[in-house]
Amino acid sequence: MTRLSESDRTSQSVRLNATQRRWLTRLARHGRVALLVAFAAPLIGGLLLIIQAHELSGLLSAAIIDGARRAALATPLLIVAGLIVTRSVLTGLGEFAGAIAAERVKRDLRDVLFRNLMAYKADRVRSLASGAIAGAMIEHVEALDGYVSRYLPSLIAAALLPVAFAVAIMPVDVIVGLLLLATAPLIPLFMALTGWGAQAASRRHLDAFSRLSGLFVDRLRGLTTLKLHGRAQAQAELIKKTGDELGRRILAVLRIAFLSSTVLEFFSALAVAGVALYVGLSLLGSIDLRDSPMTLATGLFCLLMAPAFFAPLRQLAAHYHDGAAAKAAVTALDELFDGLPAFSSAGDAPENAIVHRQGAATLQIRNLTVTAPDRAGTVLDTVSLDAEPGRLIAILGTSGVGKSTLLEAIRGLRTIEAGEVSIDAKPLADFSPHDLARRVAWLGQHPHIMAATIAQNIRLARPRASDEEVARAARDARVSDFADTLPDGLDTCLGERGLGLSGGELQRIALARIYLCDPGLVLLDEPTAHLDPQTEARVIDGIMAFSHGRTVIVATHSARLAACADETFRLSRGHLSPVHARVAKPILREGV
Amino acid sequence: MTMLKIFAGFLSTRANRFALALFLAIVTLLTGTALLAVSGWFLTAASLAAITHSVGGFDLFSPSAAIRGLALLRIVSRYCEQLYGHDATIALLGDLRIWLFKHLTTLIPLGPRRLRGGDLAARLTADIDRLDTVFLLAISPILALMAATALAVIVFHAFLPQASLVFGAITLVVGALLPLAMAWIGRPLGETTVMACADLRTSIIDAVEGHCDLVAFAAVARARAALFKQAERLSRAHVAQSGLTSLAAILTQAGGGLALMAVLWPGPGALDAEALSGPVLVAAVLVVFGLFEMTAPIARGIAKLGNALAATRRLDEIALMSPRLCDPASPAHLTNDRTVTFENVCFDYGRGRRVLQEVSLTIEAGRHVALIGESGSGKSTLIHLLLRLVDLQGGAIRIGGVDIRQVTQSELHRSIALLAQDDPVFLGTIRDNLLIGDPRADAAKLYRVLAAVKLKSFVETLPSGLDTWLGEAGHTLSAGQARRLCLARVLLSPAPILALDEPTSGLDRETERALLQDLAIAAKGRGVLIATHADLPPGVVDRVFRLSNGRLNPA
Repeated sequence: MTRLSESDRTSQSVRLNATQRRWLTRLARHGRVALLVAFAAPLIGGLLLIIQAHELSGLLSAAIIDGARRAALATPLLIVAGLIVTRSVLTGLGEFAGAIAAERVKRDLRDVLFRNLMAYKADRVRSLASGAIAGAMIEHVEALDGYVSRYLPSLIAAALLPVAFAVAIMPVDVIVGLLLLATAPLIPLFMALTGWGAQAASRRHLDAFSRLSGLFVDRLRGLTTLKLHGRAQAQAELIKKTGDELGRRILAVLRIAFLSSTVLEFFSALAVAGVALYVGLSLLGSIDLRDSPMTLATGLFCLLMAPAFFAPLRQLAAHYHDGAAAKAAVTALDELFDGLPAFSSAGDAPENAIVHRQGAATLQIRNLTVTAPDRAGTVLDTVSLDAEPGRLIAILGTSGVGKSTLLEAIRGLRTIEAGEVSIDAKPLADFSPHDLARRVAWLGQHPHIMAATIAQNIRLARPRASDEEVARAARDARVSDFADTLPDGLDTCLGERGLGLSGGELQRIALARIYLCDPGLVLLDEPTAHLDPQTEARVIDGIMAFSHGRTVIVATHSARLAACADETFRLSRGHLSPVHARVAKPILREGV
Repeated sequence: MTMLKIFAGFLSTRANRFALALFLAIVTLLTGTALLAVSGWFLTAASLAAITHSVGGFDLFSPSAAIRGLALLRIVSRYCEQLYGHDATIALLGDLRIWLFKHLTTLIPLGPRRLRGGDLAARLTADIDRLDTVFLLAISPILALMAATALAVIVFHAFLPQASLVFGAITLVVGALLPLAMAWIGRPLGETTVMACADLRTSIIDAVEGHCDLVAFAAVARARAALFKQAERLSRAHVAQSGLTSLAAILTQAGGGLALMAVLWPGPGALDAEALSGPVLVAAVLVVFGLFEMTAPIARGIAKLGNALAATRRLDEIALMSPRLCDPASPAHLTNDRTVTFENVCFDYGRGRRVLQEVSLTIEAGRHVALIGESGSGKSTLIHLLLRLVDLQGGAIRIGGVDIRQVTQSELHRSIALLAQDDPVFLGTIRDNLLIGDPRADAAKLYRVLAAVKLKSFVETLPSGLDTWLGEAGHTLSAGQARRLCLARVLLSPAPILALDEPTSGLDRETERALLQDLAIAAKGRGVLIATHADLPPGVVDRVFRLSNGRLNPA
């Protein structure tokens, strides 16, 4: 197991396209007032720094050259101290505001991503690894934190402050001012060069991270299987290899990210050295480029401002990989979810929508065609079926032939290539999610069992169901058969994925959920799988009782269940064909 | 603080790398500070020389050479420091990740599951990555600042004895004590963040895996509201943390101002007393500026330090767990006799649910035995007991007369291959999945086994054949196909005994029948214990037993 994904997509471009850039800008606006404070604080702090440098150099010069007494220096000393305190408060305030803005943005984005994800069809959700989705919604979204809270404020500071500093130095010493201004335009150029590389590398890092977390979830889930096969050691090696790969990728990001900060270090150090030498030589009279003679106060001011000039740019460089990581995360989100989510204020439909129809539903399927991405050919090929209200229809077919797909398509969980499914003569697309959920109940082959009590799991279908209703559903679905032997009964806590219960027991809990609803159409996928004949017979009795006055489609391998059906169809090579009772019964009975 | 001990252990195995990174951090800080100090000294000295007209005797060469040299050295050491620091940290994280995975392996079987799967994954990735901040963002900057400050205090002592100690004390408080105290205070917040993050991850994974059911029962809005609450909890924890960080930033910067005052206040008096010269005073002021640049990254690291401490505590939970099963000190070895005997085996889940009562069963080597009975009658439990996934409460299980508790787990696992009810299909190719059963199997062998489980023709129709990628939990396979793939994996195992729990679940009757017949041939010569609901065609098994009410009887 050396490969981790079908395709290594790391070679793709990571520059944001126009849509992605617009999206990221709109996203940041979610930060609102807090973001404005985060932008303003470093700018005000920067302006105060000019005054601070001016006061400090004057103070030192007065003490050293003029021999001023401490009493005379008290006022400038206090001013410097006051400025330092004010600036530190501004810095803290800006950071805090940035964090608040970023949190708003992340929280809203996670919500929107989740809403969109849940609106997907089942086939699309299944094509994504749950670990990778969780990784995207946590790590990728977290990658936007630095962008909003640090990168954007430092970008604005870097664009404005150096110019302001150069303008402030200009009247004091034109040469130093010009020198600094001249080097400034070079910096974005260097940073752009190194930044592009950092972004490409950062994208690779995120890719590796999401794949590693996908692999971890997967291998941990199967750790018992791996250990029993004596393969845990080998898997540890695989994870080590993957981790090392991740490490290499991170290092590649950093090697380039550090280069961009080194460019700035280079300029900053050069500026300090250059200004020191220029001022020193001017003071000594070795160079004479000024109208008035250089003073110590002027020289010290220039020396203090030289590193300050580069500080906002260095700050930006330090946060550059925040920006690059955010851009890489945006690209990754765009790709994983096939488009970036739109922020709309539309909430979910209210839960208590009016149900227009009661009683058994009619089902009409016309030329339904469904393809599966990973399976050769179509799963369902122009399938048509009519179900009269109140009929029980069994679908037979070899395993993997597409029975589950058919039921999922009827429930609207599948992407449909062509054709139409109508319930109560109304196309599926015209139903609101809630109306559809009220009208149609669906039992899948892998029911989702939460780490909660049995009763809580049954209540998934109807949170407000009373204890009696839950108990009745549990009895009808034969959940009580095993729950009653447990000391806590229906209040027994189940582990993750229903640990502690057998497959048949979990299936019955899922069946109890259905019994808590009042649907007109019931879709059951292998409701009696994993059951022994006695339990199966009892569960079938329950299904038959519940079926009364409802339309039921059941996919099954069970001859006994099929024998109870009003009509029986066989699904084979994407086609549905009726099984005539006279032919069917003997075949079916053979197995009973 | 077990995890910290383990962490420190790994740290010391890579001590050279970390020492180098720390050394480079100190050099970077010192050169940067020295560059500013020498520049200031040079300016002031030049200015004084100009005033006293002693320009001719002024040594221009040494300071300007020092300035250029320091500038260059700083650039190089800064780049190397960052690179080596991260390199060392990443290597350390790899060590930790593997240690934990291996540790977890020893903890299997967990018995009654003490940890949730999603939570575990979060611990292994995110929590370990959080530990990287301990060196890079806390240990290294603090130590570097303390080392440089110690040097500065010694130098200052010569000129400003009273100021040097005050300066040293302020730096110690602001640069080391305050950040550590803040991290300690912020620890519960870090813990909240980590927990909120893990919960959010679990919820997302839960919702994705239960997507169909959530949609089918119109429970999406509920799930979304629950998720939003968790996202908000995470946000609140983050905001609280950044509040703390911002406060720390304010205090450290203000502390820098205080340190500056410690030098500036006695400065003029010392100038008067000619205890120090003007150039040295300027140099001292700039030293303070240079050193306090380091406090910004220290302040930023506080939240991360809190996170790391919380992650450490969570990892401790795993680190402190000891295996439920330990291999005997002097293990016995299995003989060539592969007869399996259950002798008066008793088992219950504790809470009054008697599952097995004095069950006795013998499976002679090479014989195939079926267990039938209602679901929940204890068939799976009997199989789990054989592999020691759970512990029996009475009686004994022997292979060839040797009690399975007397042999090592790995020897037991080599002798018995298990097909459990919840065996997963792993993320990877079909081949990857099969090679778990036998890593040395070639394509021909894989296809032979696939034929036995009635999957060969299906795999052959796939464009990529054995190299077809299977999605998470094998969802691109039907339940029956996934089951057969797991069965193929077990058949590939060289173990002489097979324990099969519902090998044909999810299959239609025809496939089930054909598969059971082929299974009998594929497992010929091996002992087989098969728990099933299927109707067994003749010749598949030698004997059938029924489990009911905790008792085993011939069917």
